[in-house]
Formats: sequence, C-alpha cells, structure tokens
Amino acid sequence: MDDILSLLLSVIRLCTPIFIAGLGNMFCERVGVLNLGAEGMMISGAFMAVLGSFLTGSAWCGVLFGLAGGMIAGAIHALICVEFGGLHAISGLGLTIFCRGVAKFMCVAVFGSTYSPNVQAIQTTELFAGVPVLGQWLKQLSPLVYLAIILGFLAHYVIFHTTFGLRVRALGDNPRAVETAGIDVWKMRFIGVFICGLLCGLAGAYMGLGQLDRYFDGMISGKGMIAVIAVKMGNWTPIGIAGTALLLGIFDAIQLKLQISNTLNLSPEMLAMVPYLAGIAVLCMKKKQDGRPMALDTIYLRNRYKF
Amino acid sequence: MPIAFCSFAVIVSMKGNAFNIGAEGQLICGAIGATLAGALFRGLPAPLHIFLCIVASALFGMLFGLFPTMMHRFRGVDLLVIFLLMNNVAEYFLQYFVLDLFKSQNALVPSSRAIEKTAELPYLIGPPYRMTIAIILVLICAVVLTWFFNRTVAGYEMRAVGQNRQAARYAGIPIGRYTTMALLLSAMLAGIAGGLEVLGNYHCLYTEISPGFGYDGIPIALLCNANPLLAVIGSVAFGALRNGSLAMQAKVGISSEIVNVIQGSLILVIASNYFIRYLLNWRRRAK
Repeated sequence: MDDILSLLLSVIRLCTPIFIAGLGNMFCERVGVLNLGAEGMMISGAFMAVLGSFLTGSAWCGVLFGLAGGMIAGAIHALICVEFGGLHAISGLGLTIFCRGVAKFMCVAVFGSTYSPNVQAIQTTELFAGVPVLGQWLKQLSPLVYLAIILGFLAHYVIFHTTFGLRVRALGDNPRAVETAGIDVWKMRFIGVFICGLLCGLAGAYMGLGQLDRYFDGMISGKGMIAVIAVKMGNWTPIGIAGTALLLGIFDAIQLKLQISNTLNLSPEMLAMVPYLAGIAVLCMKKKQDGRPMALDTIYLRNRYKF
Repeated sequence: MPIAFCSFAVIVSMKGNAFNIGAEGQLICGAIGATLAGALFRGLPAPLHIFLCIVASALFGMLFGLFPTMMHRFRGVDLLVIFLLMNNVAEYFLQYFVLDLFKSQNALVPSSRAIEKTAELPYLIGPPYRMTIAIILVLICAVVLTWFFNRTVAGYEMRAVGQNRQAARYAGIPIGRYTTMALLLSAMLAGIAGGLEVLGNYHCLYTEISPGFGYDGIPIALLCNANPLLAVIGSVAFGALRNGSLAMQAKVGISSEIVNVIQGSLILVIASNYFIRYLLNWRRRAK
C-alpha cells in the first residue's frame, strides 16, 4: 500500500510541470502561435524563481519572480512571432538556446558556479496536514500542485465557456474571419502568448522551488518539449493534456523506480527511453488529430510590413 | 562540418514541404552506424573502408528516419512531435550504446571502441588544423544538391511540392511520395553528418557527440534561403562561433556560455526578418 501511494505521489510530482506548461502551450497554440520555446520559458522561470527566493528569502516571492521570468521570455516570443511576423519554429528554438545561455551565464555571475546554493522552497503543504487519513500524504505535495489542478479547471472554463475563450478558439482556426468580426487579432495573440509565458514560468518555478530547492544547468532537461508534445497528444483540451501528462508521468515514475530498485537488471539508459517509446506508441495508435487549430504556425502580418 | 550536412538535411526536407527537426536523432544514429562499420570490419583497404562507413552511417540515419516518416504518411502523425520524441530516444540509445553495449575497456573518458585506422579520414592539412577531406565531401554534396534541385525532373517536382501543394497535385505530381522521399534523403544526409564526425574528428563515439548540431542546421537553412552553396558559408560561420568560444575561454577567460547567448539572439533576429525589412524600407522612404 505504501509503495503504491508513494508511486502515485511521484507520478503527480513528475507530471505537474508538464501539465502546467502544457496548459500554457494550449493557449499559445489555440491562438495560432506554435511555441517551441516552452523549454526556454521554463528555464527562464526556474532560474528567476530560484534567484528571487535567494534574494528575498521567501519562496512565494520566488514564484512571483518565476512568473515574471516566464513572461519576459513569452514577451520576446510574442514580439517576434506576433508583431514582427517571424517564423514560429525558429523563434522558439532560438529562444530556448538564448534562455539557456543567459540563465547559465547569470548563474555563474550571481552564484559563482553552474549550481545555485539551496534556497527557501515550498515542497510541502502544511495546510493539509490536518486532513484525516490522507493528510500525511497530501502534505507531501507542493502547494503549486494544487494550484495546477485549480488552473486546469479554470483553463477549461475559460476556453470553452467564456467569450474570450470563443475568440481564442476562433482565432486558432481562422484569424482573417476574426479580424473581419472586429477583434484585434494581434492583441489576442499577444495575450495568448503572454498567458503561455506566465504558465511556463510557473512550471519552471515549480521545478526550481516545488520539486528541488536550487537551479542548475540542464535542470529542465526536455520537459518543455514534452509539454509541447503533450498538447498535441491531448488534442488541445485541458482534460486531454492532463491525461497525457499523467500517462507520461506514470511511465517516468515507473522508470525511476526501476532504476533505483534495479529488479529487472536493465541498464538505466534503456529504462530512460521508456516514457518516450510509450509516447510514440500512443501517438501511432491514435486516430487522426482533429482538434488541431487550422491556423497553427501561420504568420498573420500587420499591413505595414507588407510590400 | 557536421553543421553543413545538417543544414543540407533541413534544406532538402524544406524543399519537399516538410520540416526535419529530427536531424539530431538521425545524426546520432549515423554516428553509431559509422562506428559499428568502422570497428567491426577489419583488414579492408582505406578508401573502401571509408566508403563503407559513410554508406553505413547514411543507412542508419535513413532507417531511423523511416519510422516517423511512415507514421506521418500513413497515420497522419504530427511530424514535429514524433521527431522530437525520436530525438530523445536516440540520445538515450546513444548513452546505452556507449556506456554499455559497445564500451571501450581502456579509455579514460567513457567512450565506445575506437574505429580501425583504415576507416579514419585522411588529413588534408595535418594537425593542429586537423582539416580532413570531409570539407571536400561537403562541397561536392552542395554542388550535387544544387544540380539535383535545378537540373533534374525529380528535383524540380520536389520543389514544386514544397512551394505549392495544390498546384503540384493538379499537375499530377505524387505529393506523398515526394515528401517521403525528401524526408528520407534528409535523414540520410543527417546520418552522414554524424558519420563524418566519428570518422574525421573523434575516431570513436562519445555520449556528447553532438552539442545540438541538428538544431543548428535549421537557422542556417533559413538564413541562406534554402540554398545549399550559401549554406556552406553559413555553417562555417556557426562552426567558427562554436569553436571560437572554447578558444576564448581557454585564452581570455570569457565564459563559453556567451556563445549560446550570441547564437540565440542571432536566431531571434533571423526570425524577425519582416521587421528588419520594414526598418530598411522605412529608412529609404524617409529620404
């Protein structure tokens, strides 16, 4: 029983950053901007979160710093993709390289090495300690995990039950029609990418302060890319993304468990492949993707840039 | 030089209306293929052995690209997603291969078994420059690609598919077949990139064989507007940036991380080409 519960906790811990970043990416892709820079936004968020916690001594201030960090990266992406009409894939990849370089450089400049010292973190929720029976398990998760669950419901409500959500969905399928209806396409796209930056920053902050209590280079290790994949596998809905993130989290947790116990006598590198292979298998079983925003990865140029 | 081949790979896929973001994984598989061929075949004359190794790397790269391509064509799987997943798989497989399966017994750094002497690419200019004949291969490949796209029927039709799918379909060009062909050709080139890195540079396989060469190819391909000959110049510039950063760190003590910052901002600037054109135009209009 204890084993199963600890595995469950580890699944939730591992899938949370993918879920949060996936929600952000969903907004970004729903407004028609492809975001391969999620990785960069998460790096920026994680670094800023740890830096904030280091400077102020308070983990929650760190989270705010993380949000700001993610938003700065999101703003760069928005500026290039929405305002300047740049190619989304290139901007995203460039952003990832850029953020990683800046974060490592700043890390060396501030902390003197590629590892930051331990800072104040929020790894447990003491609030839930008093809950009967489950209390001792619930308090082992970071409050950001519960925040993520709330955000999931909120995102579902916003996307499918508000005017804003309707506009976002329409924008992803046909920006010209939306502009004809008198809505500022560029403003909406800006907002979408900003939300994405915020949520990716939160995901980074969770990895820096909720899972660990420090920043080091290579910490995000492809989680941002997996978030991008989770959005596509989850058919661009919050529920689908939650399902995909859980699936990938389960395989990741099992893989980690096997690595530690080493019961199957396989090499750790082979086991590390398992979540990705599972992802590919699921992807190939699935029917054609019908939720894909039709205007995804298209450039909608302002008139003054056309010649 | 592997950057040049990666940019060729991306160029070919772009011409065929697809985007090969999986060059990284194919490069790794090509490197594995070259190492296997280089270490397992013994007693062959040098030119034949090198040729065999390059063929092996191309074959491994193509086989690795085959699965996602087929999935894309017959099941409609998103190319981007499956290529990114495959890259991760390749990276872990490389680690498994180097640390476990094909480990060298007597090496300080974890690496695979070294390739035979006959498989090493001969130097054009010896150490310390270590310029191998890979550079000639790059130039030949650039010329062949230019010829292929501008002078052959298949190349012309592939370009047509890349530029306008609908028009190509009405003209009776089999779109699916050409996209598949472009992706496989691109995977092959990426595989050769990995093979040359093993044959010419390291002579064995490390876990860090590729510091993101596959991703470097993408901005270069766009920077040079998918022209293979210009891509050679672009890759030399990017390669210089990478190698220069290490030298700068050793000699002057500037952090090598700066290269990531420079490269990243360069890519961001490339991405916003409309804005730059607007600025240039604005200057002209002001006069």
